[in-house]
Amino acid sequence: MSNKAAQVSRRRFLKTTISAAGAAVAAPTIIPSSALGRDGAVPPSERIVVGGIGIGRRGGYDLGCFLEQKDVQFVAVCDIKKKRRGEVKNIIDKHNGNEKCDTYRDFRELLDRRDIDSVLIATGPNWHATAAMTTAKAGKDMYCEKPVTKNISQSLILADTMRRTARVFQAGTQRRNLPHFAFACELARTGKLGKLTKVFAHPMGMQALMSGWLPAEPEPDPDVVDWNMYLGPASWRPFNQKLLDGFNFEKGGGFVGAFNGGGVLEWGSHCVDLCQWAVGDCPPPVEYNAPKDGHLVARYESGTELIFREKGWIPLGSCPVRFEGETGWVEAGDSGKIVLSSPELLAGRTVEEIGGYPATFHVRDFLDCVKTRRQPKGNADAACNAHIACHAANIALHLGRQVKYDNATNTFINDEQANRMRSEALREPWRL
Amino acid sequence: MHMTQPLTRSVALVAALIVSTTGFAQNANDAKSADETELIALLRSDAPASEKAIACKNLAIDGSSAAVPELANLLSDPQLASWSRIALEAIPGKAADEALLEATDSLQGELLVGTINSIGVRRNSNAVEKLATLLHSDDSEVASAAAVALGHIGNGAAAKSLRGSLASAPNEVRSSIALGCVLCAERFLAEGNSTEATEIYDQVRRADLPGQRIIEATRGAILARGDEGIPLLLEQFRSSEKPMFQLALGTAREFPGDKIDTALATEMSSATPERAALIIQAMADREETVVLAAVLKAAEQGPKQVRLSAIDALKRVGNDSCLAALLKIAIENDVDIVQTAKDTLAALPGKQIDGEIAALLPSSGGDTYPLLLELVGRRRIDVVEEVEKALEHSDKSVRSAALIALGETVSLNKLSVLISQVAAPKHPEDASVAQQALRAASVRMPDREACSTELTKALERLPTAAKSTLLEILSDVGGNKALATIAVAAKGNNPELQDTGSRLLGTWNSVDAAPVLLDLAKTAPAEKYQIRALRGYIGLARKFTMPANQRVEMCQNALDTAVRHDEKMLVLDVLKLHPSKPGLALAIKAKQIPDLNNEASEAAMVIAKKLSGRGVDVSELLSAAGLE
Repeated sequence: MSNKAAQVSRRRFLKTTISAAGAAVAAPTIIPSSALGRDGAVPPSERIVVGGIGIGRRGGYDLGCFLEQKDVQFVAVCDIKKKRRGEVKNIIDKHNGNEKCDTYRDFRELLDRRDIDSVLIATGPNWHATAAMTTAKAGKDMYCEKPVTKNISQSLILADTMRRTARVFQAGTQRRNLPHFAFACELARTGKLGKLTKVFAHPMGMQALMSGWLPAEPEPDPDVVDWNMYLGPASWRPFNQKLLDGFNFEKGGGFVGAFNGGGVLEWGSHCVDLCQWAVGDCPPPVEYNAPKDGHLVARYESGTELIFREKGWIPLGSCPVRFEGETGWVEAGDSGKIVLSSPELLAGRTVEEIGGYPATFHVRDFLDCVKTRRQPKGNADAACNAHIACHAANIALHLGRQVKYDNATNTFINDEQANRMRSEALREPWRL
Repeated sequence: MHMTQPLTRSVALVAALIVSTTGFAQNANDAKSADETELIALLRSDAPASEKAIACKNLAIDGSSAAVPELANLLSDPQLASWSRIALEAIPGKAADEALLEATDSLQGELLVGTINSIGVRRNSNAVEKLATLLHSDDSEVASAAAVALGHIGNGAAAKSLRGSLASAPNEVRSSIALGCVLCAERFLAEGNSTEATEIYDQVRRADLPGQRIIEATRGAILARGDEGIPLLLEQFRSSEKPMFQLALGTAREFPGDKIDTALATEMSSATPERAALIIQAMADREETVVLAAVLKAAEQGPKQVRLSAIDALKRVGNDSCLAALLKIAIENDVDIVQTAKDTLAALPGKQIDGEIAALLPSSGGDTYPLLLELVGRRRIDVVEEVEKALEHSDKSVRSAALIALGETVSLNKLSVLISQVAAPKHPEDASVAQQALRAASVRMPDREACSTELTKALERLPTAAKSTLLEILSDVGGNKALATIAVAAKGNNPELQDTGSRLLGTWNSVDAAPVLLDLAKTAPAEKYQIRALRGYIGLARKFTMPANQRVEMCQNALDTAVRHDEKMLVLDVLKLHPSKPGLALAIKAKQIPDLNNEASEAAMVIAKKLSGRGVDVSELLSAAGLE
C-alpha cells in the first residue's frame, strides 16, 4: 500500500457526519419517503404485496429485509420442500400476527394470484432466470438473487423480457446500494482516477462447478420434496440427497454444468457487476484470455482491462474490487472500508462505512422503484452485462484460450466452439 | 463396453464436482480431443444414461451433423431428451433442424413441448407450417409452445398464423399466442417495419387477454408509433387502472425524443397529487430533455407531496437557475419541505453554485444567513475567512452554523481557529458545537500525524476540561502521535487526565497500542488505571488478527502482569478463542499459577479439542502435561 494511502474508517465517518451529512456519501434514498406515502402507517392501498419463491438460507435473510419495510405485506411462500414451506410460513405469520400466509409447491400457482405485486426469488441459481422470466410474464415485479443467469443467451433474453414486460427487476447485487462501493465506482466512472486502465474483480476460485449425475436414491414423496420441480429447467438426473442439499447447488454451480458457473460467476456476479458500474455500465469486454498465474485478463472496447484476480488484495474483506486509473486508484471490500491512492480523492467528502454487505438498502431501492417504475440499481440491463462478462470469461477458461466477443451481434468472432457455449436447452416444458 | 480414456475422464468430471483450474482445463482439452465418432458410438451403445448425458454436452460444442441421428433418437427418452436437445440446439446446419421438426410427428406431451421449444430457439423458418398446425393442438401446452416458437421465428408467415388464431384460440392458449404476436412485432420493429408492428400491437391490446399481455402490447404500440404514440401514452397516464398508469411511468422514461417532455409537464400539472409526484420523478429521469421550468414551478407551489417530489427531483436536474427559488423554499416553515430543499441545495451540481453562495454570504441576513453557512459546510465551499466573521454574530444559530461550516472546511493551517473556540469560547453555550466542529475537522485531515501534532501543541495551553476534550479528539484521529500524547497524559500527574487517558487507551482500536498499554498496566499512577490498561491490552489480543506466536506472547505478558484472578481468566478466554499449539502450551504452563490450576487445565482441554478437530496432533503436549 502506498504511504499516501488513506483508509476511510468507520470512526472517521461517524465522527464527521455529525456535521456533514450532506457532504457524505451515504446509503441512498430514491425519493423522500413522504412523497411516496411510506411515512408512518401505510394504507393498504399503498402496500406492496409480496410472495416468496425458494426461501432458504439466503432467501431467509432477504425475507427479513422485506419484512422490516413498513409498506410490504408478505402473503405467500412457495417451496418444493414441505418442511421449508412450513418454516417460512411460520416466520411470516409471526411477523404478520396471523396465520394467513399461503404456501405453494408450484410457483406458478403463486404467480396466478392477482393480489401479489412483487416476488422475491431466492431459489438455487438453476431456477433464477427461468423463474424470473416466468414471473415477469405473469405481470409481477421481482427481486431475484444472483447469479441471475446460467449463460449468455439467458442474460440477453432476461434483459429483453424485462423491457418487453415493463417489469421492475432487481438482481440481488446489493453492493450497488452500499455507499463505499458506490463511491469507489463513482471515482472510476467520473474520471477522478484519470483514464481508467484496469478494474479488478475477485472471482473466488477460477474453477468449474458441476453438480452432476450422482447415483439414484429413492425419490421422496413429491409433497415432501418435489424433485421434478427442483430440477425444473435443468436436464434430468435421478434424485440424490447431495444434489438437494449439496454445496455446489447452493453455491452457484448447481446444474450449470461443466460449461459455465463456478466461482467466476458465483462471485463475479457481485465483483464484476461493480466493475461494470465503474466503467459506466458499458457493454461487457470484447476480449477474454485464458487464466495465467491466477489472473484472467479481459479487455473492454475502450482498452480498459477487467482482471479477475485471485490474490494480491488489500485485506478489506470479501468481494474486493480495485479500480486503477492513470492518476489514482481505489480499492474496496465487504468490510465497508475503502483505500485510496491519495486522500485528495475524497475531496473533503466522507463515506459512510457499512460493513457486512446488508441488502436492506437494495430491497428498499427495489420497493421504491416498484412504486416509481424507475430502473433499480441492479436492473436487468446491468445484470445482463455483468453476467455476460462472467460467462464469456468462463468460456475462455474452459477452452483454455482467448475468445473475442462482438457486442453488436452478441457472438464470439469466428469462434464456433465459443458460440455454441452461449446457450443451453432447457428441460421440457420450460422455456424462456 | 469400449470407452476411451478421455471419455472416461469426462464422465469422472461429473462426479468430481469441483475441479481445479488446471484440472479443469486438462479435462476440457481431453473432452475436445474425444473423437466425435466415439461419442456417437457411446450414444448408440448401452452405456449408462449418465455417460450419454455428458456425451450430449460434449457434442453440443464439438458435434456435427453426423451426430444428429443418434441425438434425435434420444428425443423420445424422458431422461435424456433435454440432454439431447442441448446438443441439437447448438449443432449448426439443416440436419438438426430437420431432426427436431421430424420428431414433432411422433412425440407427445412434454417431450413434444420441449422439442417445439428447441425449434423456436433455432428459429427454423421451415417449421412455420408445422407449428401453425400445432397451434390448434388439443394439448394446450403444445399449442402454447407452438405459439411462442412461432413468435421467436417471427417472420411474415409466423405472424400471419398467430394473428389469425388470436381471436379464436381457447383461453388457455390465447395468452401464448399474444406473446408470440408481440415477439413478431418486436422483430418487425427492429427490421424497420413499424407499420406492421403497430398493427400487431394494436390487435393484441384490443383482444380479450390477461392484463400483462395488454401491458406488453400497449407499450409496444406506444413506442412503435414514435411521436404519434404520445396520445396513447398520455391515455395510460389517465387510466383508472394502476397497472396502466405504472406502464405509462416506465414507458415515458424510455420514450425517445423531446416532445414527450412537454406532454409530461402538461400531464403532471393536471394529475392528482399522488400521480403528479410520480410523474415528476419520471420527468426528472429524462435528464437531457426535461422541462426544468415545470419541475421548478412544482417545487415552488402546490400540494406538499408534489412539492417534495419536485424539490427532490431538482437534485438530479436542477442547475444554478434554481438556486434563488430553492433558497427561499429552504427557509419556509414546513420541516419536510425545508429539509428536502436543504438536501437538494447541498447536492445541486455545479461549481458556479458554490460561487453564487459564497457571493451571497457577506450581505445576507435573517434566516438566509445560517442557511448559507450550512450550505458552505455541506458543499465544502472554501470561504473560511468569511465564515469566521459569523463567529462574532449575536445569534447563536448563526454561530453554530458557522462553527459546523468551519468543521467541514478548514484546512490544517486554520485548525487553530477551532482550537481557540474550544479552548476559550466567547459564548459558553457554543462550547459543545465548537468541540463537534473541531472533531469533524480533525478526523477529516488527510495527514493525521500532522493534525495530532497541532492538537498536541495546543494541549499544553488549555485548561484541564478542554484538555480532556482534546484527548478525546486525538483518540478519534488515531495514529502514533495521538497514541503517544494520550499515553503521556495517562501517566502524568493530573488525575482527570489520567482517567481520560487510560480510558481512551483501554479502548484503542489498533494493536499499535499494545506496548503502551502494557507499560501503563505496570506503571500507571493508580491501580484502577493499571487494571484498565491491562484489560485493554488483553482486549487487543482478543480482537485483532495476528500470528499465533504474537498473540501468545501478549497473553504471556498479560499473565506475568496480572495480579487479579479476573484478568488471568480473561487471558485464558483469549487462548480458548484463538486455539493454537503455542496457546495450548501457555495454558498448560498456566497450570503452575497457584490460583489458576483448574481453570488453566479446563482451558487447555478446550483448546486441545478445537485443535484436534482441525487435525492438529496435540497428544504429545497433553501427555506431557498429564492431561490426556
